[in-house]
Amino acid sequence: MSNKAKPAHELSKKEFKTIFWRSFTLLGSFNSERMEGLGYEYALMPSLKRIWGDDEEGYKEALHRHMAAFNMTVAPSPFVMGISVAMEEMAHDDPSFDKESINAIKVSLMGPLSGIGDTFFWGIFKVVACSLGASFAAQGSILGPIVLLALFNIPNLLTRYYGLKIGYSQGASWLADMEQSGMMKLFTYCAGIVGVASIGCLTASWVGITSPLSFVISGSEIVLQDYLDQICPQLLSLLAVLGFYKFLHSKVSVIKVLCSGVVIAFVLGALGVIG
Amino acid sequence: MTALQACLVGIVAALSCATIEGGWFGECKIREPVVTGFLVGLILGDVKQGLIIGGQLELIWMGTASIGPVAGLAVGPGGTIGTAIALSTGAGVEAAMAFGVPVSVLLQFIQSLIDTGYSLPMHTVDNLIDQGGQERKIVWIHWLCGIITFAFYWLLTWAALFLGNDAISVVVNNIPEWASKGLSAVALVLPAVGYAMLLNLLLEKNLVPYFIIGFVLAAYLGVSMVGVALVAFALAFIIYIERSNKTSILQHKLAGFTSTDFDDEEDEL
Repeated sequence: MSNKAKPAHELSKKEFKTIFWRSFTLLGSFNSERMEGLGYEYALMPSLKRIWGDDEEGYKEALHRHMAAFNMTVAPSPFVMGISVAMEEMAHDDPSFDKESINAIKVSLMGPLSGIGDTFFWGIFKVVACSLGASFAAQGSILGPIVLLALFNIPNLLTRYYGLKIGYSQGASWLADMEQSGMMKLFTYCAGIVGVASIGCLTASWVGITSPLSFVISGSEIVLQDYLDQICPQLLSLLAVLGFYKFLHSKVSVIKVLCSGVVIAFVLGALGVIG
Repeated sequence: MTALQACLVGIVAALSCATIEGGWFGECKIREPVVTGFLVGLILGDVKQGLIIGGQLELIWMGTASIGPVAGLAVGPGGTIGTAIALSTGAGVEAAMAFGVPVSVLLQFIQSLIDTGYSLPMHTVDNLIDQGGQERKIVWIHWLCGIITFAFYWLLTWAALFLGNDAISVVVNNIPEWASKGLSAVALVLPAVGYAMLLNLLLEKNLVPYFIIGFVLAAYLGVSMVGVALVAFALAFIIYIERSNKTSILQHKLAGFTSTDFDDEEDEL
C-alpha cells in the first residue's frame, strides 16, 4: 500500500516536536472568520519554510493556503497537520501536483474527524474522567483533579502524538483503510456503548429530581414521590433528561434549552413542586 | 478576599477560559471545576472545601460546557468565580452556582464578541504574507490574540471579586428562602440538561439499549459509575471481538480488488 516514492527531504525529529507542541495552541487566536486558521498556520510555518525555502512564490502560496478557515476538535488535528506536511513535500517535488488537493483534503477531514473527535473526547473521555474525578473531589480528596487530568490527557496526548506520526507517514490512506475495513465505525460504536451507558448511570445517580408534593385525600396523606418511585426509581430525572434531549434533537439551540431549563427549574423549585 | 488573592483567582479564571485552555494548553481540561476548585482552594487557604465545591459543581454542570462552536456555559471562568465566592463567603455550592451560571452565560456572550473581533487581524496576516519575510510578526499576532484574551479575563475577574467583595457577601448572606429553594432545584435540573446534551452528541438508535442498561444498573441495583463503566466496557469488548472477526473475513474476501482501487487513488494524490 505504501509504495509511493519517498520525498527527498524528511521530517526531522526536531521539526516533529515543533509541530507537536505548536499544535497545542491551535485555538489561541480563534476567530469567527478563519476559526483555527492562524493556529494551523503557526504549527506548520517552520515546515513550510523548510519545504519551500528555495521558492519564494511557492512559499507565500503555501502560507496563504494554510491561513484558510479550519475548524476541528483539537485532539485529532495533528493528524491532519501531518498529512498537510507530507502533501506540501509532494507538491514541492512534483510541479504537476494539484495543490488544490492539499486544502481539499483538509476540508474533507474537518467534518468526519470532528464527529469522531467530539464523540471520543467530549462524549466519552471527558465524561468518564470528570465523573470519576468529581466523585473523588466531592469527598475532599486531592485524587479528584489528578484522576481527572490523567484519564483525559493520556488519550489526548497519545492521539496527538500518533496522529501526527501516522498522518505524516501514511497520510489520508490510513483513514481510508480504516473507513474501508469498517474498523473506524466499529470502534466508534463500541466507544459509544461505554459513553451512552455511563450517561444512563449518571442520569440515575446524579440528577436526583424529586417532588416534595403531598395531598391529603379522605384523611390519609398521599406522598407523590412514593408513587413515582413505584413506577420507576428516578423517574423524574429520567423524564427530564429525555425531555431536554428531545428539544435538542429537534435542533432547538443549546443556549435556549439551557436558559429555559434554568428558569423553569427555579420557578418550580421556589413554588415547592420539585426539590 | 485580599487584592492578591483576587489577582491569583483572576489568573486561574483566565487560564481556564476556553480559548486559553484550548489555545495554549491543548484543551487539557484544566477548565473543569474539579481542577479550578482545587486551585482556588489553594489560593484561598482551604483546599478541602475547594475540592468539595468543585466536585459538586462538576457533577451539576458537567455536560453543559460549550463544545467547539456549540455555545453552552463558559465553565472555566464561571466555575472559578463561583467557587471563589462560595469559599470566601463560607456559603455552599448553591452560592457557587447562583453566581457561576449567570457569569458563564455572560462570558460566553462576550467570548463570541471577542471571536468576531479577532477576524480583523487575520487580514493583517494575509498582508504580511504578501510582503514576505514577516514570519515573526505573524507569530506575534497569533500569541497576542491569546494574551489579550488572557488579560481580559484576568482583569475582569480581579475587579469583580475585589471591588464587588462587599456587595457579593451582602447578596450571599441575604438569599431569601424561596430563592434558595429555586437554586437547589436548578442544581437538580442542570445536570439533566447536560446529560441531554451529551446524549445528543452520542446517541444513535442502536445505542439505546445501552442507555437503558446503564440506567437500570444504577437506578434499580445501585451500581456505581465505575461499575457501570466496567460492565459497558465488557459489552463493548464482546461486540468488538465478534464484529472485527466478521469484518476481517469480509475484508479478506474483498482484498483482491480493493487494494488495486486504493493504489490508483494514491497516485492521484
